[in-house]
Amino acid sequence: MSFTMKMNVEGDTATIRLAGELDGSSAPDLNDLVTQAVGRQVGRLVLLLDELTYMSSAGVRCLVFAHQKLPRGSQITLVGTKPEVAETIRLTGFDRSIVMR
Amino acid sequence: MPTALVVTEPADPTSPAVLELDGALRAEGFEVELVVPDDLVLSHPHPDLLLISAALGLQRMALVSQRFLVDGRMPTIVAFPDDDLGALEECVRAGFDYVTRPFLPGLLRSRANSCWERWQLSTAVEEMAALASLREYERELRIARDIQAGFLPESLPRLDGWEIAASFRPARQVAGDFYDVFTIVNGRRLALVVADVCDKGVGAALFMALIRTLLRHTAEHTGYVQDVGDDAAASLDRALDGPMGESALPLLSLGAGPLIQAVVGTNRYMARNHLKQAYFATMFFGVLDPCSGDLVYINGGHNPPIVVRADGRQTLLPPTGPAVGILADSSYTLGHVQLGPGDALFAYTDGVVEARNAAHGLFGTPRLQEVLGASGAHAEGLLAAVDGAVRTFVGAAEQSDDITTLALTRNPSRTQRRHSPRNTARNSARNPLPNQAPDPR
Repeated sequence: MSFTMKMNVEGDTATIRLAGELDGSSAPDLNDLVTQAVGRQVGRLVLLLDELTYMSSAGVRCLVFAHQKLPRGSQITLVGTKPEVAETIRLTGFDRSIVMR
Repeated sequence: MPTALVVTEPADPTSPAVLELDGALRAEGFEVELVVPDDLVLSHPHPDLLLISAALGLQRMALVSQRFLVDGRMPTIVAFPDDDLGALEECVRAGFDYVTRPFLPGLLRSRANSCWERWQLSTAVEEMAALASLREYERELRIARDIQAGFLPESLPRLDGWEIAASFRPARQVAGDFYDVFTIVNGRRLALVVADVCDKGVGAALFMALIRTLLRHTAEHTGYVQDVGDDAAASLDRALDGPMGESALPLLSLGAGPLIQAVVGTNRYMARNHLKQAYFATMFFGVLDPCSGDLVYINGGHNPPIVVRADGRQTLLPPTGPAVGILADSSYTLGHVQLGPGDALFAYTDGVVEARNAAHGLFGTPRLQEVLGASGAHAEGLLAAVDGAVRTFVGAAEQSDDITTLALTRNPSRTQRRHSPRNTARNSARNPLPNQAPDPR
């Protein structure tokens, strides 16, 4: 299924809009994008997920990866997360390390 | 100055042929470097002319050539005989260009030029190199698959009054899913694990091997709760603060110690050593007392296993802590459920509920519960029913995720009351725990 992503960096905040399905085949692209964002010294990551319809465990791994790569104390915020995607994240317990709005 | 790279057979990197070639190239104005194939793993030179010893054999020559493929182009590649003309002939038949001794500067220059011209027209070596590297890759994956199979139990322990069945269906050659069933505390408890390392493929498979080993080794080598570290004992206190009450402690502690130590210890190990790699595993780890049917468990961020009661009621066992390896400071509580005669426990990985059909719909938990509700109380039967339902649902669509299932059922009769687990030979040999203090009951 199709997956698209678009990043916008403003100041120390990287905003990435994801659409479609984040799974094992699309996760490496997002990891690359996160690495780029980290290279641009961002301290805050905002993921716009209102168009993301599915997230597999590989997708949750992207969040864990971002959490590890960003400087300590950086905030990861998920905006507009659909219930099914939020459930996947909650199941793993990683919702403790991020902010879901 | 043109550059030439000479790749030699490691066993004899300065053979007379190599030295003669080196001298002739230098005399003709080349800057020459001699390397063995291993040198190319880390360095990536871009020579004008690449000379490879035919003594490496066709497969290794093709792999070496492959390393020089940049943006779809390679340098001029020429084979030379070390001393074995038979090996050279094989390369030439396969499409390599070649030079032979004596290596005289003028002749070599002229050969190199005509090789270059021919090279512009030929793609045989590139195709061959691609094929060779594909074959190499497939061979490595087959080896990985065989090794991974060794990280699953060869056979399942057998218990009087219980049935156990498990199935493992990877989506690719190797998987991040696994299950494990083994006896602990000198055969008095049965440990059951179903786990799913995030993501798929080789990375997940490497972490599967690590996590399975840490869990099993720790559980097999932990005795009573008194023996475990302070952290684990503290988690146990917290865990038993809950609805079970303190009176449950002596009854459950026999299996609870190994359980907590295995999960907390594995999480701590992963957090200390592998947090940067961002791999984690969701898991259900249960420890059964086969006499009483009491099952203590930790669900680390895993899809809730389903208990199907003899009367048809179903209970889900939701997470009692986060996925293992995802956070440094995870704490886990213990869950407890009792399996009576005719009850069944079904644990699975997300490949079941996230299986997709051609219309891209999800199999889903409600459908799974429906299937379980309609299929008797035999472990093998439950697995077959779920497997059949998933296959029918998926139809012609490709299996996209690893699928692992495990079922534990208690026979309806009440005739076996005080029987210990009867191990397979392999498992009892692996279980060198000495007799410890008597069962607290």
